[in-house]
Amino acid sequence: MNLIVFTKRVPATQEEELRITGEGKAVDLSKVPFKVNDWDNYSIEEAVRIVEKSGGAVTAVSIGDAESDEVLRRSIAMGAKDGFLIETGDVLHDPNARATLMQNFLKKENVPFDAIFTGVQSEDDQFGAVGGILAAKLGLPFVSMVIGIDATESDHLIVRRELEGGLQERVKVMLPCVISIQTGINEPRYVSIMGVRKASKVERKVFKAAGYQENVVNKIEVVKWVYPPKKAGATILSGELDGMCKELLGILKEKGVYQ
Amino acid sequence: MSYVLVVAEVRRGIFEERNLDSIGLCALLGKDAILLIPEGDYGMNEQLVNGLVRVKTEEALFLNPLNMVNILEKVMAARGKPDMIVFTNSASGIELASYAAGHFNLPVITDVNGYDKERGIFFKSYYSDKIFGEFRPSGEGTFIVTVRSGSFKENAAGKGSAPPAEAIEDVAANAARTFVEYVEEEKTDVDITKAEFLLSLGRGIGNKDEIPDYEELAGLLKAVISGSRPVIDKLWLPKARQVGTSGKTVKPKVYLAMGISGAFQHIAGMKDSSCIIAVNKDPEAPIFQYAHYGIIADIHKVRDALKGILKG
Repeated sequence: MNLIVFTKRVPATQEEELRITGEGKAVDLSKVPFKVNDWDNYSIEEAVRIVEKSGGAVTAVSIGDAESDEVLRRSIAMGAKDGFLIETGDVLHDPNARATLMQNFLKKENVPFDAIFTGVQSEDDQFGAVGGILAAKLGLPFVSMVIGIDATESDHLIVRRELEGGLQERVKVMLPCVISIQTGINEPRYVSIMGVRKASKVERKVFKAAGYQENVVNKIEVVKWVYPPKKAGATILSGELDGMCKELLGILKEKGVYQ
Repeated sequence: MSYVLVVAEVRRGIFEERNLDSIGLCALLGKDAILLIPEGDYGMNEQLVNGLVRVKTEEALFLNPLNMVNILEKVMAARGKPDMIVFTNSASGIELASYAAGHFNLPVITDVNGYDKERGIFFKSYYSDKIFGEFRPSGEGTFIVTVRSGSFKENAAGKGSAPPAEAIEDVAANAARTFVEYVEEEKTDVDITKAEFLLSLGRGIGNKDEIPDYEELAGLLKAVISGSRPVIDKLWLPKARQVGTSGKTVKPKVYLAMGISGAFQHIAGMKDSSCIIAVNKDPEAPIFQYAHYGIIADIHKVRDALKGILKG
């Protein structure tokens, strides 16, 4: 089975303080470390497991600036055969623009595939919409929130999608298709620095995004970036560590959960 | 007639409460809400909407994006194009919304958590909920949004009369994707929803080897261990311990969150706890917005200090 997996390099903002600049025009990410999007890491792993079991090849594709080569090297280290970079300096906040660029690329370069994997969402924009838009544009069936692939047959997949409250839904989807992978579907393999170094010897192809711009327009626009409204917020305990911990135990006693 | 189409999320005969947020957004916009829903008794308050379109189809067919676009085509043929189509921001809502956006070539803004009526702007969170983007469609015409649960439901209000209902029939089932069955989570001996005191662990614990030390702390405190999604995904704790939309919703007397930044999906699963105490080294972590008490510190140091005191 030939699988295309889209993978994205994203800012790791979990533990970073973010600053808005230019009166809401931009978010300063210059001091933030970048990494592979968590969801895409699981997608690559899942795709590699499928081809290891039943043959075929995984092609990792990333849209981004030259630095995004990093996530392609990583994908190859995990077992992808090829890495394609669709190079652009544009950020592409609109999932429609991103999906249209993908569609144009796949069509023009005629990349063969039985299925396309995307992550459910990317950590930075949290849109979760690119996989669905791409599927509809390609006229292919789509399943999102995939948390298990139970069977890979020649003409279909049986997948489980995650719903709310621990419930899952088993779905049959015909090939070719687009599926969006949820985190937790597998345990992604460890990628060593040596592995990435070795992978960097495999040629990655670079395609200029300028060649695939037909109908790539922003259907939505960012007017401004703002900080979330502050709620009342927590009473922050202060002082020495031991003192704060004693205060914490006092609260637990007061609430009746600790004697 | 100008209207907003609200696509109801129904699951196993239940009208999901988060639909009220979709309806509430329509009220905030001052637009007529027409609810699209499969035929059946979903026990909802129909007076909250201005009209109903009942689809003669099974729930599983309705929730399938490949069929939903056919249903939407029929609605638009009968009623004209809506100003906006609203879905819930859930596993199914986002799936349906994104596929419909691609199929009809429409703008889409997901995970909307606020609306500024004067400026016509939708708020959407970015970068681990630390930044909001102000978004709007670039042009005129129909657009699609998905609405974050809990954002607008207080705006939903009864109209005082039963709304008119229309019907849609002959929805063809697309064979390219078909529902097989629901799969329930395995039953386990620990039920975190019953615990009065949860010690909940997040990504901040760093690695699996730290777990036993937190289990020891939980033992000393007589707390039950739970965790956020990253910890479950990494298999550091079993799935039955997961707090959040895709796991369990908990309301303990005390929820002690250590190393949890507070993604919206997590907050949704614990925000109704009587007392929330958060420990995190990142003062900007969203969880401090929802907690009653906070400690900004390295969680391992707090753990070890607590253990030291408890062991006397």
